[in-house]
Amino acid sequence: MTLSGPSLGTRETLSSIQSSAATPPRPRRFGAGKVISWVVFLLAMLYFFLPLLATFDFAMKAKPEWAAFTNTFKDAKFFGTLLYSFTIGLITIVVSTLIIVPTAYWVRLRLPRLRPIVEFVTLMPFVIPPIVMVFGLIKSFSKGPLPLAASDQGNHVLLVAAYTILSFPYMYRAVDSGLRTIDVKSLTEAGQSLGSSTFRILWSVIFPNLRIAILSGAFLTLAIVIGEFTIAVYLNRPAFGPYLQNLGQNKSYEPAAVSLISFGLTWIAMAFIALLGRTSQGRGGGQVEVGGAH
Amino acid sequence: MTADVATISEPGASMARPARRRFSWSFLGVLPFFLFTLVFLVFPVGFLILGSFQDSANGNALTLGNYADLTTPTVARAFSNSIEISLVTAIMGAVFGLLLAYAVILGGLPKFLRTFMMTFSGVASNFAGIPLALAFLFTVGNLGLVTVWLKSTFHIDLVNDLGFKILSKLGLEIVYLYFQLPLMVLIIAPAIDGLKKEWREASENMGASPRQYWQYVALPILLPSILGCTVLLFGNAFGAQATAYQLTSGQIPLVTLLIGAQISGDVLHNPGLAYAMAMGMVVIMGVSIVLYSILQRRSERWLR
Amino acid sequence: MTTKQSFFRLAAPFAMAAIVVSACSGGGATQSPSSSAAAPSTGGGASAPASAATGSEAAGGNMDKLIADAKAEGGLTTIALPHSWCNYGEVITGFTAKYGIPINELNPDAGSGDEVEAIKANKDNKGPQAPDVIDVGLSFGPQAKTDGLIAPYKVSTWDDIPDTAKDADGSWYGDYYGVLAFETNKAVVPTPPADWKDLLDPSHKNQIALSGDPRVSNQAIQTVYAAGLANGGSLDDAQKGLDFFKQLNDAGNLVPTIAKPGTIDQGATPITIRWTYNALQHKKDANGNPEIDVTVPASGRFAGVYVQAISAFAPHPNAAKLWMEYLYSDEGQLLWLKGFCNPIRYEAMNAAGKIPADLAATLPDTSGAVFPTLDQLNKATDLITKNWDSVVGADVK
Repeated sequence: MTLSGPSLGTRETLSSIQSSAATPPRPRRFGAGKVISWVVFLLAMLYFFLPLLATFDFAMKAKPEWAAFTNTFKDAKFFGTLLYSFTIGLITIVVSTLIIVPTAYWVRLRLPRLRPIVEFVTLMPFVIPPIVMVFGLIKSFSKGPLPLAASDQGNHVLLVAAYTILSFPYMYRAVDSGLRTIDVKSLTEAGQSLGSSTFRILWSVIFPNLRIAILSGAFLTLAIVIGEFTIAVYLNRPAFGPYLQNLGQNKSYEPAAVSLISFGLTWIAMAFIALLGRTSQGRGGGQVEVGGAH
Repeated sequence: MTADVATISEPGASMARPARRRFSWSFLGVLPFFLFTLVFLVFPVGFLILGSFQDSANGNALTLGNYADLTTPTVARAFSNSIEISLVTAIMGAVFGLLLAYAVILGGLPKFLRTFMMTFSGVASNFAGIPLALAFLFTVGNLGLVTVWLKSTFHIDLVNDLGFKILSKLGLEIVYLYFQLPLMVLIIAPAIDGLKKEWREASENMGASPRQYWQYVALPILLPSILGCTVLLFGNAFGAQATAYQLTSGQIPLVTLLIGAQISGDVLHNPGLAYAMAMGMVVIMGVSIVLYSILQRRSERWLR
Repeated sequence: MTTKQSFFRLAAPFAMAAIVVSACSGGGATQSPSSSAAAPSTGGGASAPASAATGSEAAGGNMDKLIADAKAEGGLTTIALPHSWCNYGEVITGFTAKYGIPINELNPDAGSGDEVEAIKANKDNKGPQAPDVIDVGLSFGPQAKTDGLIAPYKVSTWDDIPDTAKDADGSWYGDYYGVLAFETNKAVVPTPPADWKDLLDPSHKNQIALSGDPRVSNQAIQTVYAAGLANGGSLDDAQKGLDFFKQLNDAGNLVPTIAKPGTIDQGATPITIRWTYNALQHKKDANGNPEIDVTVPASGRFAGVYVQAISAFAPHPNAAKLWMEYLYSDEGQLLWLKGFCNPIRYEAMNAAGKIPADLAATLPDTSGAVFPTLDQLNKATDLITKNWDSVVGADVK
C-alpha cells in the first residue's frame, strides 16, 4: 500500500478523526486491548484442547494404561507410513510453491483479469470429491502417452501431483495474501531498474519477502498430505491416512492414541519448519521492508 | 494501469512508446500453472463432466436426467444444508479467526505464542473427519468428559438444562469450526503482519478510539484478505464430508454425503447423479468466486 | 474485455479439451456394457485375458497347473478385506504362506460400491491398484455381472454352495454369512437387550446407534430390514422395520451417530446391531476392557450373505482363481469360521464331520435365521433407502 497518493478513504479517515476529537488529541492507552487478547487466546485454547484432552482420556482407558500408545510405537507400519507421508508432503510443498508463487506474482502484476479464473481453478479441489479425482487420474493415466498409473514410481508421481492440486487453494490464498501486503509493483520496478531479470527478481526479492505466507501454505499442505486418505488408498501408496483409517476398523483405543501421536508429531515437524524459516533469514518476525515507501 | 503494464513488460522501453497490450508474453508466466492443472485436474475431471450426462442405469446412454434429478427434494435440501452450514462456519471462522490472529500477532502477547499458534493452526486445520468427530463426542457427547463433569460437579445436564446437543446442526457447525478457525488464522496472518504497528500508534496519537482505528484503518486494509479467506473457508466446509458422516450418520443431508452414497455405498448406486451433483457444487463455487470478485474489487478501492 | 468475456474465452478451450479427450480415451472405459462386454457370462471384457473357466479346470490334476500359473503371475491384489473381518488377516497370511504368492491389499475400508468402481476405473490398468478379486454384498453380484465386470469361475467345491447363494453361470458365489446381533457395552448397560422389543425400553434412552447410514451401508439397511421381522413384518415387507425405527427414534433411544468400536467402548453409543462376526471380533479385541456382550435376538434372526467374484480385468487371473480355491477349501472355510463367520459350506462340511467341535462352539446359536432372496433383498433395500428420511425423520435439526 502506498501513501503517496491519498485515496478517498484516507482523506475521509483523517478528517473524521480530527473532527471527532472534542478535546485536544492525546495518546489513548490501549491497555484494555491486551486483556482482551489474553481472553480471546485462552478461550481459543480451551476450545482446541478440550477435545484433545478427552481423546487422551479415552486412550488411557486401555489396560494397561499406556498400552494404546506403546502398541502404536511398536508397530513398524506406524513410522514407515508417517515417514512416507512426510516425505511426500515436503516434495508437494516444493512443487506447489514453485508453481503457485510465480503464478500469483504474474496474475497480480500483469494479468489481473485472469484473477477470477485462477482463483476458480485453485478452489476446484474443494468441490471435486477425492474419489472422483483418483478414479479420474487412474483412468487418464492407465495408458496413452503417460502411463503413470501402471508403475510404482509413476504412482508416486501421481500422488504428488494430486496433492499439489489439493494444496492449491491454501497455497494460492496464502501467497496472494502475502503479495497483497508487500508492494509488488515497487519491488519489481526497483529490481528492473537495477537490471535484474524477472527470474532473479522472483528468486531474490519476491520469494524471501513471502516467507511467512509460504510457510503458512506449507503448514497447511503438510497437514493435508499427512491426513489424506482416499487418493493414497486407491493409488495403493503406503501413506499414513490409510494406516490410520485401517486401525479404526475394529480397535478403539489405538486410533485415539494414533491420532494424538500424529497430531503431536506433525506439530513438531511444523515447529521445525518454522524454526528453519526463521534462522535462514537471520531475523524473526514478518516485518517487510519496502525500500523507503513506508 | 495500461501504461504500467507496458513499462513492466518492456524494461528497456522508453516511455514514449505507445502502450500496447502484450498479453501473449505474459501468459507464459502462468503457463506452468495452467498446464499442470490441465493435466492433473481438468483431464480427470473431464470424466466427471462426461459422467454427469450419462445414465448409469441405462447402459450409460447420454441423458439430462441426472441434472433433472438435482431438483428432487432430497438433493435440493442437501444443497441448501451444505450452503447454509458452509456459510455459517465460514463467517464464524472468519470472525473468530481474525480475532485470534490479531490477538496473537498484534495483541501484545508474548512472541513465542505466535509461533505456537501458527504451528498449532497448521495441524488443527486438518484435524477433521472421524478423529475430530470422535474427539467431540468424547468431550460433549453422551458420556463426554465435559458432560460428566458438569453433571457431577454442578449437577447441570448438558442436554436437558442447557439445551445443547452436539448431534445437531449447531453442533456440527461447532465441530467444523475446529478446522475453519485455524485455517483463517494461518491465511490472514500475513495480512495482519502487514498492518504496521506504527499505524495504530499514529491513530492513537491522533486521538482515535480503538473502534475508530478498526473501522477506518484496520478493517478497510484487511477487508480484501478477509473476503478471500471467507471464500476459502466456505469452500473448505463445502467439501467436508467425513466429519459430518461420522457425527450424524448422514441424518443432516449434505451434498458431499449424497455424492459419497451414490459412488461408494453398499447400495446399488447411480454415479451419474453423483457427478451431476458434483457439477452443481462446481457451479456454486463459481458463483461464490464471482460474488467474491465483485466484493473484493469494491473493497480494494481503499488500497490504491 | 470484461472479466466474463475473458473467462469464457479461456475456460471454453479447457472444458472442450477435457470433454473431448476424456470421451476419446475414456470412451472405452465408460462405454455401455453392451459394447465392452460382448458376452459377460463367457468371460472377460475387451482387454482381459479369457477366463471362461470352470472348476473342472482346477479339480483333479489340473490344480498343480493352476498353482504353477498363479505363482508365475507373482502376486494378487485384493480390496476391502479388513484383517479383523472374518479373520481375513489369517486367510491372507495363510494363502501367502501356502503358495508363496504375495498379496497386495487395497483399501480395506472400501464399501461394495467402491470395489465395483475400482474395477471400472482400472479396466485398462494392470498396475498395483487394479483389484483381482472382490467381496461384495449380495445385490452387487448380478449388477456386476450385467455390467461385464466379473469373470465366471466355479471352484472345485462348487456343489457345496447352496443354490440360492450363487450364480448359475458361476459369475458370483456366496462366501460367508452372519446373523445380526446386539453388541452391548456392559460397563454402561449392565442388562443387555435380548430381543428387538427390549430396544424400546426407556432405560436405553440415547444409547442405541446403527453401524452406518441406513441409506448407504449394507449392515445398517439390513438392520432396519431385520427389525421388521420381529415387529410383525416379513421378508417381503420391510415397512415394519421402518416403523420400528420410527418408534425407536420417537422414544429418544436412537442416537444418530455411527457406532464404531471407539464409540461403543467410550459409551457414546453403548448398544448397536452388527453382524455376529463383527461383534464377536470386537468382543475378542476388547478383552474385557470394556466387557462386550453379544446377543443374537430371540426373534427376528436375519442372515446376510456376501459374495466373491473375480474381476474381468484382473491383472492376475490365475492367482485370483487359486485364491478362490483356497477360500473354498476346508482350510479357508475353517479360517473364516475362526473369525466368527459362518462359511458358506458350513452345512456340507458339518454333515461330513469336518467342523471341529471347539470352533463350532464359538459361534452363537443362530438357528431359525432367515435368508432373504435376492429379489426380497433388493425390494427391501429400495424401500428402506428411499423412505428412511420421510418415515424415521431427520431428527438432527
